[in-house]
Amino acid sequence: MSEKIVEIKSILKSYNKKVVLDIDYLSFQEGKIYALVGPNGSGKTTLLNILNLLIRPDQGKIFYFNQEVSWARKEQRIELRRQMTLVEQSPYLFNTTVWNNLAFGLQARKLPYSMQKERINRILNLVGLSNFQYRKVNQLSGGEMKRVALARALVLEPRLLLLDEPTASLDQRYIDILERVIKRVNQENKTTVLITTHDLSRAYRLAQEVVSLLEGKVIREIPENIFRGEMIKNRKGNCLKITEEVSFVIGTEKEGISYIYIDPRDIILSLQSFQSSARNSFLGKIVKIVEQNHLVKLEVDIGVLMVVMITKESFQDLRLNLGRSVYLTFKASAVKLY
Amino acid sequence: MDFIIEGIFRSWQLIFSLDREIFSIVLLSLRVSLTATILASFLGIPLGFLIAVREYWGKRLTIAIVNTLLALPTVVVGLLIYSLISRRGPLGVLGLLFTPWAMIIGQFVLALPIIIALTYSAVQGIDKKVRNTALTLGATDYQAALTVIREARYAVLAAVVTGFGRVIAEVGAAMILGGNIKDSTRVMTTAIALETSKGEFGFALALGLILLLVAFSVNILLHYFQGKKV
Repeated sequence: MSEKIVEIKSILKSYNKKVVLDIDYLSFQEGKIYALVGPNGSGKTTLLNILNLLIRPDQGKIFYFNQEVSWARKEQRIELRRQMTLVEQSPYLFNTTVWNNLAFGLQARKLPYSMQKERINRILNLVGLSNFQYRKVNQLSGGEMKRVALARALVLEPRLLLLDEPTASLDQRYIDILERVIKRVNQENKTTVLITTHDLSRAYRLAQEVVSLLEGKVIREIPENIFRGEMIKNRKGNCLKITEEVSFVIGTEKEGISYIYIDPRDIILSLQSFQSSARNSFLGKIVKIVEQNHLVKLEVDIGVLMVVMITKESFQDLRLNLGRSVYLTFKASAVKLY
Repeated sequence: MDFIIEGIFRSWQLIFSLDREIFSIVLLSLRVSLTATILASFLGIPLGFLIAVREYWGKRLTIAIVNTLLALPTVVVGLLIYSLISRRGPLGVLGLLFTPWAMIIGQFVLALPIIIALTYSAVQGIDKKVRNTALTLGATDYQAALTVIREARYAVLAAVVTGFGRVIAEVGAAMILGGNIKDSTRVMTTAIALETSKGEFGFALALGLILLLVAFSVNILLHYFQGKKV
């Protein structure tokens, strides 16, 4: 059983009176890879910043190696921060050479030059940028910049590596390099890695544990009705095309491949089609019925499988059974970006 | 029409014969304005930085005041400083009026808000991101602050150059505080004003061309620094 590297208890953080993070308890074991998944605005980035001691929570306690650090003195915070590092979603590179960027943290730690040199060369090699030492960062491409930012973090050999959406807006080749590098440092250096991502399949492939956040709270299970699709515009407006037959009208404008989810409680189930302001309505067949406390969870096949939650009373009133044809109706605003 | 053509001809003659009077005026101009800009930078850069990174009560008011001072009329500055340093004023005993130092004080006051405001906006734009990046890489608060200034260096230099560009071309404060005394406080702008009214068109035009050249160089420099920003 490995040691807990970090633990947080009863963390609360709000901005402008809006709660962005509200976590009872969360702990991370040393040497594991964790994926933090959740839609935009679910508090992933705030959590990483709190773990990196860059922002203080309004309430709650943070423990590193079983020691409380919530109110640690400045020197202790710096000391702790030097054992971890955060790579932001769109990282800032210092306006100088690649080498100086990588050397920054090493110089802050007062590492001898020979060691700096050895580490920088080794890491640049690892991320496939061996000949880039003396390049200016403003001459790099977007993907190269992200790799430099990752290298700048890895060169510090942190015990805890926090990566905020490292795969966002990157091509597949870089993503493969990134995954390989993350796995490698995790195995070789026992680095604990905490990575936020939109991509659930990637999360499960890379991480040993997945933590899911929704509206600032840790949720035990990944939300139902997650779909991947392509944003398109058609006569109905902005749509997310899931399959050739099924596409959802969606409230927000975005381009490219997106993940969305629909809360099963936001879906109205009816026996007949009805006219309403809701933009999405589909005919499907009930393929699974599960009772959960006072609710009933139904799986309905509308071309894709959708989960709907209704109360037991409604379930009985509508006399639903397996194979029954039903209409599912939900508003465009119920389709949330993941 | 003739006087224009004659003037242009005369101005070239003056410039290419390296006329002593012309160049002593140009040198004094540069000396006064450079001194004023450097002094204003020593105060303005740290102030702009502090306003950007510190949260304090009245921050928005400070910014509003500094921004208002950007449009300070040069003659008003001349008038105010005059009232302080004229013989009857509170600083009269120093005998500063109608000396180059009087002009330096006036131009210092003019350059200061520009340097503060531009440094502030340069630092404020990158402060959080650079600071957090430095901190997450293990920097101390002090190292992080230095990093912010270093990252803003080109924009801060641009602020200094803009300040210089403003004071080298101003005439109001230099005229009121310097008095346009030959061989003592006569700078390019005041000399142009005087010589034009005297009808010495060629002389004024020669100085005007040099002033344009200075302004052009300042802009080239500015362009260079702005291009360096990421």
